[in-house]
Amino acid sequence: MKERFLFGYDPFVLPFTLGMVFIILYLLVGTARIIISLTHEEQISLLKSLKPKQLFKTIKDVITDCLLHIKIFKRNPLLGYMHFSIAFGWFMLIVVGHIEVMLYTPQRNGILYYPVFFRYFVMETQQTLRGAFFFFLMDLFLLMVLSGIALAIFKRFRSRALGMRRTTKLKIGDTFALYSLWAIFPLRLLAESFTADISGGSFLTKSINHLVHGFVSNPDNALPIWWCYSIALGVFLFALPFSRYMHIPTEILLIFLRNAGIKATSFRNGYAEAEIYSCSRCGICIDACPMGVNLGDIKFSTVYTIRLLRKRENALEGAEKCLMCNKCVEVCPVGINSTQLKLLYRQSFNDTGDHDFSYLSPQNIKHNKEKILYYAGCMTHLAPAIYLSLFKILKKAGIEYNFMDADGSICCGRPLMLSGDFKGASQLIDKNKDIILNSGCTTLLLSCPICYKVFREEYNLQGIEVVHHSVYINDLLNSGKIKVDRVHESFVFHDPCELGRGSNIYNEPRELLSSIGTLKNSPEEKGESICCGGSLGSLTMQYERRKRITEHSLSMLYTNNPDTLVTACPLCLKTFSPVNSKRTVDIAQVVSEHLI
Amino acid sequence: MNNFGYSISPSSRIDLDKRDNDKFTRIVLLEPGFRKCMACGLCSSTCSGANFTDVSLRRAIEMIQDGQEKSAIVLLKGCMLCGKCNIICPRGINTRNLIRNILKVYMEELQ
Amino acid sequence: MNKEVLIIGGGPAGLECASTLLMFGYKVFIVEKGSELGGHLRKWDRLFPESISASETLERLLIPSKKAIVFDETEVSSVKLKDGFFDIILSDNTELHVHSVVVATGFKLFPAEKKEEYGYGVYNRVITNADLEASFKNNSRDILQSKRVGFVHCVGSRDEKISNRHCSKVCCVTAVKQACEFKEANPDAEIYCFYMDLRMFGRGYEDLYLKAQNKYGIRFIRGRVSEVAENVDGELVIKAEDTLISRPLKVTLDLLVLMSGMSKNPDNDQLADMLGLDIAEDGFFVQHDPTINSIKSKIKGIFFAGTVTGPKTIPETLNEARSAALAVHKYLSE
Repeated sequence: MKERFLFGYDPFVLPFTLGMVFIILYLLVGTARIIISLTHEEQISLLKSLKPKQLFKTIKDVITDCLLHIKIFKRNPLLGYMHFSIAFGWFMLIVVGHIEVMLYTPQRNGILYYPVFFRYFVMETQQTLRGAFFFFLMDLFLLMVLSGIALAIFKRFRSRALGMRRTTKLKIGDTFALYSLWAIFPLRLLAESFTADISGGSFLTKSINHLVHGFVSNPDNALPIWWCYSIALGVFLFALPFSRYMHIPTEILLIFLRNAGIKATSFRNGYAEAEIYSCSRCGICIDACPMGVNLGDIKFSTVYTIRLLRKRENALEGAEKCLMCNKCVEVCPVGINSTQLKLLYRQSFNDTGDHDFSYLSPQNIKHNKEKILYYAGCMTHLAPAIYLSLFKILKKAGIEYNFMDADGSICCGRPLMLSGDFKGASQLIDKNKDIILNSGCTTLLLSCPICYKVFREEYNLQGIEVVHHSVYINDLLNSGKIKVDRVHESFVFHDPCELGRGSNIYNEPRELLSSIGTLKNSPEEKGESICCGGSLGSLTMQYERRKRITEHSLSMLYTNNPDTLVTACPLCLKTFSPVNSKRTVDIAQVVSEHLI
Repeated sequence: MNNFGYSISPSSRIDLDKRDNDKFTRIVLLEPGFRKCMACGLCSSTCSGANFTDVSLRRAIEMIQDGQEKSAIVLLKGCMLCGKCNIICPRGINTRNLIRNILKVYMEELQ
Repeated sequence: MNKEVLIIGGGPAGLECASTLLMFGYKVFIVEKGSELGGHLRKWDRLFPESISASETLERLLIPSKKAIVFDETEVSSVKLKDGFFDIILSDNTELHVHSVVVATGFKLFPAEKKEEYGYGVYNRVITNADLEASFKNNSRDILQSKRVGFVHCVGSRDEKISNRHCSKVCCVTAVKQACEFKEANPDAEIYCFYMDLRMFGRGYEDLYLKAQNKYGIRFIRGRVSEVAENVDGELVIKAEDTLISRPLKVTLDLLVLMSGMSKNPDNDQLADMLGLDIAEDGFFVQHDPTINSIKSKIKGIFFAGTVTGPKTIPETLNEARSAALAVHKYLSE
């Protein structure tokens, strides 16, 4: 190999180079801004996370998420391949390109544009095995990227073939970036093919070269194509900060921040900014969102809310309508905690301190010997069968308990928190905490997952075990304190959002049900279970729309024709029961009906 | 009008003519379910806050419709947003949204 | 005139329609899902507003309809309309070839366990209006000796959440009737009726209401019951609101009666499919011309009678049944 041109430069490299300089500066400034806006402790954590062992893990995460897109492969292999081929292929083109420069034209090391336009500037002097190997690699990776691009174009027309019912609607910045991205690689293919007889090539570029040989025997005919290639790159790079493709660099920063344990504390700055720019608008959250059953609510899917946040526009409608079910967080391949962002956004509007809870005078619970304190919570009072069944089970197991809110509950505070009113919620938390800590209990037993989540995460009850009744009853069964009958009934278990995705409890209720009858599956369960629609997280959704969500969730649960629908949340129970023509029952009821 | 030396205390009689229609229209826009209330009383009956103090959405709705906004706010400030009224309302009104919006719209005046 | 008519449903509507058609000289088949004729009427004790005996009323309906051919414990399996005839196959494989069909399948009582907050099926002392009628019939001392009784109106009616927005019409007057009857059975009882609106629309109903207050001292509280709990002694603790003075209310009772409303009969879905008829959002059949001709359906030769098209009292049902018979007669005379 040797260089064709003395100075290794031609004006056509300018669009790309300028774009590259622009993007590098933009990224440096952006990264600095984000890191500066972190708190002191967060910055220290970030530094600490650069220790070799953690650094190794972080780099591994960068590779699996940004390059290999393992999470998307798990969703749909074709979709995963599409993202993987473009990301990995392009990455390898850059890496191998740099290796080519290092090997063949080391004097041009460090020049920004040289590896990108390598095949224009060099001339093949002798055919070596090593040369053929590198040409083969480059052509192979180019083909890989092209196949990904082809799939991406196909996906715009037939998204269902890649497992997506709906795709993201694009805006102007996205369309510029998208079309220029699509143009880059075909243009690269043409450009490298046109000069393949001079610079050398492999199966792809040489073959095309043979086809167009007559036209390109004059090397000057190749130059316009190289201009187009460079312009396409330049347009893409300039459009990058205004488009979804900003996720390419930002996701790397995000993984570093996340692995340092940093979380979002504002809805727009610091860690949140990294999250918002990491959103690739892949659109997987659109299909996941339960609100999509109502066509008019598709525009409130997480991807669109994040886009509004990024542009610093008013995102309140979507943010307040969101069910906070966390399914979008579960399926997001980038791992953006969009629920937290929406919650912080709500807080900025609703944390007004309007509510006045000073009327809650200190409530006294007799400090008695029962170590188990049961808190029904507001919702369980609307379905007394739940706690009655639980008490029957406790009695059978010989366990004494104290019913904390028998006369009426002081709300646990989570509904207020979900509305963004943290000040109001903390007043309720203080009052309840007083009662619980003064009761002398060692275990706080809950039948409502909404309460369970907040007691576990926000209350800080030192020395007290907080447990949900499905887990507690399962423990009783496993330790032999209660025994159950086996029956010929088939159950399907609905994972409540707050118990499943919210608290990571998926298996214990299923173990319990499997000991009594046959447990049937539903197509979307565990981490992907569909919200019942009752959600206390949604502040503005009207009843008719919720009902359609409930009906959809119900029809999925009944896919395999179970006899009974079992829930572990009183809100889910009260939401499903009126709409379900068959029997809906809480897990405690199932167990109590079959106690031996 | 002749001065008889005394006058009827005006405070106990509701004067529907004096109702603030602008705020009322705003609330209806923010939460259209407001109009559906048939004052059945399930919300106030099940209310968590009502166990401890005066909280009553039904009464607040009635008061706002009668132009007694200040009394209505007092009845809603103690609301814990627990959502029981939402589940139990037989007309399917989004009661939590209604309470939040009433507080938002009418408390602006007090600020 | 030996033309044949099929009546689906052997309750009051079906029986009265059958009697009238028999009078006109038609051959009448009755298909009844249950083991006995009479529908819900068979399970009741006394009827409002005069508290006449339900069983005697049923007898009076059964006698003139004896000449009808009854298929009990049978349902309709398939229907084919051909050349103005209805080819019907029943679930016991009988084949019928009739000229006209009357749909009188009635209603289903709302399953009160769906209102979990009242604890029906969980608490022993919470029963429905149907359970109370049975207690009156069987003179269940256990129930009738309760000292403090509450009636909850509108259970399963006027409720968006369970998709029953309609008012079931007759439960208010039934509650008042049952409250009076309870007081007669147990003069020491303290009785409360928790209502939203008191629908005393019929002749003699307002007098019944007056009697309930004046003679029996029944307390009517305007407000709904939101929750029912049990205290340590097994008594029911009721949470409600007295909306007329705007205060939350609590009371301890020995018995709570839930006035379950008239709800959709789920068998009607399949029947509607077979006959080519529609069911409306409230669960009852769609009427083609509800004001002028409430028994007419959209299919020629098929008519409605009774609560299958919406909540009705017994006199209204019987009148409709006769009207349907007349319509059948007119249709078959053409």
